[in-house]
Amino acid sequence: MNMMLVKRQSWNIGIVLIATILGAWQISRLPVFGSYEARTFLLGILPIALLSMGQAIIIIGGGINLAIGAESVLINCLAARFMVGKSFIACVLLTLLFLLVSILVGALTGLIISKSKIADIIVTLATSFILIGLAMYIQPSPGGGMNLTLAQMISGKGSAFLPPLITLILPLVVIWLPLYRSRTGIAMFAIGSNKDSAFLSGVNVDFTRIKLYAVGGLFAGISGIALTAITLSGSPFASISNTATLNSVAGAVLGGVALSGGVGGLTGPALAALILYFIPTILLNYGIDPAYSQIITGALTILVVLAGGLIRNRGKKN
Amino acid sequence: MSQSPILKISHLSKSYGPVIALRDANFEVLPGEIHALLGANGAGKSTLVKILTGVITGDLGVIEVSGKQITFTSPDNARKGGVAPVFQDPALIPDISIQRNLHLTGTDKSRFLKEILAMGLEVDLNKLASEIELPLLRMIDLARALSHDPDLLILDEITAALPVDMAEKVIAIMGAHKAKGKSVIFISHRLAEIEEICDRATVLRDGINVDTFDAAEGSEERIVAAMLGDKNLSNTRNLNRVNKASSEVLLKVDSLSGGKLLKSVSFQVHKGEVLGVAALEGQGQDLLFEILAGETKPAGGKIVVNGKEVTFNHPDDAIEIGISYVPGDRKSALMPQRSIRENLALTRMRGLRNWGQIKFKDEDEKVDGAIRSLEIDTRARSQVKRLSGGNQQKVTIGRWVTTGFDLLLCFDPTRGIDVGTKGQIYELIRKFADEGKSVLLFTSELREIALACDRAIVLYEGKVQANLEHKDCDEESLLNAAHGLAVKK
Repeated sequence: MNMMLVKRQSWNIGIVLIATILGAWQISRLPVFGSYEARTFLLGILPIALLSMGQAIIIIGGGINLAIGAESVLINCLAARFMVGKSFIACVLLTLLFLLVSILVGALTGLIISKSKIADIIVTLATSFILIGLAMYIQPSPGGGMNLTLAQMISGKGSAFLPPLITLILPLVVIWLPLYRSRTGIAMFAIGSNKDSAFLSGVNVDFTRIKLYAVGGLFAGISGIALTAITLSGSPFASISNTATLNSVAGAVLGGVALSGGVGGLTGPALAALILYFIPTILLNYGIDPAYSQIITGALTILVVLAGGLIRNRGKKN
Repeated sequence: MSQSPILKISHLSKSYGPVIALRDANFEVLPGEIHALLGANGAGKSTLVKILTGVITGDLGVIEVSGKQITFTSPDNARKGGVAPVFQDPALIPDISIQRNLHLTGTDKSRFLKEILAMGLEVDLNKLASEIELPLLRMIDLARALSHDPDLLILDEITAALPVDMAEKVIAIMGAHKAKGKSVIFISHRLAEIEEICDRATVLRDGINVDTFDAAEGSEERIVAAMLGDKNLSNTRNLNRVNKASSEVLLKVDSLSGGKLLKSVSFQVHKGEVLGVAALEGQGQDLLFEILAGETKPAGGKIVVNGKEVTFNHPDDAIEIGISYVPGDRKSALMPQRSIRENLALTRMRGLRNWGQIKFKDEDEKVDGAIRSLEIDTRARSQVKRLSGGNQQKVTIGRWVTTGFDLLLCFDPTRGIDVGTKGQIYELIRKFADEGKSVLLFTSELREIALACDRAIVLYEGKVQANLEHKDCDEESLLNAAHGLAVKK
């Protein structure tokens, strides 16, 4: 029984181990490590960790969202454009409104996929262009801002590392845990694992998928708001959204989510974001060209998918 | 018939495009009875079950449950309406725990555990469904269905490939369910079971219920007769063909096993012989063909070709020594958007070096020859997908004519093909044999065995159940053997 638990958690344990080693390496190279540096770490991983979690939910449900980076950039631009110079209360209300927008964008994507029966990658690749276009329309050049009090509540200030930590963990507790325990959560694993069995078990496959894309959109929205709070501006660049999307897939897969669907959780992807953050930082510290770190992230994603496939194949044979 | 039926189906019909699966089927189940639903492949059983369980909806007809007219729109809906199915492949989600599977269907955990306990089994609810062996998983699925206390339990081939002790448990459970005044629809290929445990039986043929009777001892013959219908009579012709095959053995298969279904299969194919393979669905025949074609690796056993033992790592290895495979799914064999010519010539490319030049003149001759000898209708030659099913099938066979082969593996080549083309395909297969080539032919239509084959083997539960000479290849013998019964000589 305990062995079973260890076996099932082995991936997460491995991720924690690698992240710890990389973290220790990085910290050992810093002259000091205090709460200020901890906050820098957290700010570095926060947007991508949130995005990986959103992507994980969709991949577990048997889909994939190539527009998740664009969703995040859109919310980033919306927030920076409309929150600049506004009062704290107005910014909080706008945050809620934009999170609602992100949910709707996700749900709409899910609806198109469910009703059109077109493959997820095609639909979301196309919507990513639409969303980036919208973001450029809203915020044509980098700029904008956000009420400073709200920004500091989200991302902290100076050495206050608790606010970003809470921003990272709160969605896990408030969104993921209830979702995992709900019937929708089981249905999410079910449609990702075996759509036919799910249907026979009474799952509404289309509706479940729409809900998952909506929740994924919500995570992208939170990521976009967090990005605004960290940078205090909105950047309507496709390159940002593309990198963010690839990193979200890499994070989800590194975090133990099977690309074939039905397997995984959100803690793994959140931790995997640490690895995705440490690798380029460490390489940069050694004076290696940042372009290499992109290559390494890409290669790592492929390797992890390969390794995951091999492990699963072996499991099937036994 | 004083009781009012728990389930009454009247004039139910369903068609998929031009294919009629059910035409005017009537079916009644009384409270407290175990009712067998029988029929050969394609008789409409699975369509009937799918409609009853809400997977699909019928085109016409009325379903009444306990006197109330009803249409099930989803499996969930059917379960709430008191109809619970258990299929051969358990409908449990592989990657989540049993506990969460129960939660998904809204099954009460303590009731489920009570059912499992009553079966004398133990289940760790925290295990993932994929970590559990198939027989136990099926019992779990059954216990889950029972926890909903359905008025009507549908068991579709649940005893197939189930160990004897488990099968006995299932039978005991059916008895207990019946004792509670509830009913069971039981679908099985094991005719011996039907006699033993069922109260009545209904036989479907070509989408119509042809016979309903009390399942008493000796009803096997009536079942087989009803399943065959008047086809029985047309079977006498063609039984006196002389087997001209040489005594030389081309292929020898020795206790081949693989996957979950194929246990131990041994047989021989002579040169110039068409060997028929007959089996009900799911007896391992698909895997047998895939192994011989080099697509899948066997778990054990030997394949000997021309006296030499061989192992295939890739279909190319099989093609190399002259074994060609015509799969049952035409779509997987053809390039639907390309022309007849390209489809026919595809396998000829094997001989070429990757960048070598294609000898178009030579190719033209071979392709034209194949089209002529196969009588392929070339009006829609630019795209294979526009050909009729029969002509597509001819193209899949024809490409091996252009390449050449010693042994052709044909998997159900006449599925869904009209009678005329069927005849042409069988003539073609006979012609191969006359030229000294060998053919291994699986067909789901048993009476076609006698038309095309010199000998036949019958697979049942992963083993060769019977080895029949041509004169014994009548449909009745084949059907009996396919159901695991002894063949009357």
